Amino acid sequence: MRDGDALENNPAVTRSALEAIHGQVFGWALSRCFYDQAAAEDLMQQAYVELLSGNARFDNKSSLKTFVFSVVQNLARSRYRRLASRLRLVKTYEATSFEQPVEMNEPGRDSDQGKRNSAIWEHVQQLPPRQRDIVELVFCRELTVEAASAVMGVTSGTGRVHYDRAKKALREKIGELQ
Amino acid sequence: MNDQDLASAVNHSAPEVTAPAFDKVWANAEMSYLQSRRRYAWLASAAATAAAVVIVLNIGTPPSDNIKFVELAELMESTSWIAPSDSLLPEHQIDLYQDLPTLIESTEPAEGALL
Repeated sequence: MRDGDALENNPAVTRSALEAIHGQVFGWALSRCFYDQAAAEDLMQQAYVELLSGNARFDNKSSLKTFVFSVVQNLARSRYRRLASRLRLVKTYEATSFEQPVEMNEPGRDSDQGKRNSAIWEHVQQLPPRQRDIVELVFCRELTVEAASAVMGVTSGTGRVHYDRAKKALREKIGELQ
Repeated sequence: MNDQDLASAVNHSAPEVTAPAFDKVWANAEMSYLQSRRRYAWLASAAATAAAVVIVLNIGTPPSDNIKFVELAELMESTSWIAPSDSLLPEHQIDLYQDLPTLIESTEPAEGALL
């Protein structure tokens, strides 16, 4: 028995449930695309196509949010793996880092609080990738450590280790700012 | 700094995200999905049509009358084998058959000992 707006090939997913988490999923997609808005929109669209076609089938083993975050993560990973292999030759000759985060120019970033926020976010971006991801998922996207670990494709134990190390590193760095 | 303060500090430092309208992204996704479905349907129907044409052509064509059967006699004449030693027979036939060497029985005693 399907809900009224449940997807044909994914009966456990409803359009309204996806709409409710759309903003948070987009934030995650944006982060996966180095804050490139167009690339993130494209990634979101691709994730929705996967859900519509039933290629990514939700079976209620986790929350829908965790599942959709995982779909975005996997799509981004496969997309950037292909892109990275194409860019490897270019990278050999260029010193610029492919994974360098894009500068965010937001209004209000020039104030003292804004500068402090920029500095904190820079510290977050400088964390090792897994620590950065788990911090973002737990602190900014409101997932539990277990759910964040599932999205990242690591065990809860490994996720917790990354989480604790990230917190320790950030406390030190933010302490230096004060 | 406790976990809650740290989470709050990091959360506030994160760049603000303005998500595109859900309806727009969803509509694009649906269109993309329908297009890919149509493409696959077209490919499948083209493959099915090609297969049907091949089958019809095969069924429609009568079998050829020029069927060749293998004749046993012809087959037997097409091959032969001779033993390598047969080349000796014309010259040494008598020697070969008449002067067969006699072998000493190995079980008979000779001067008290078995050979």
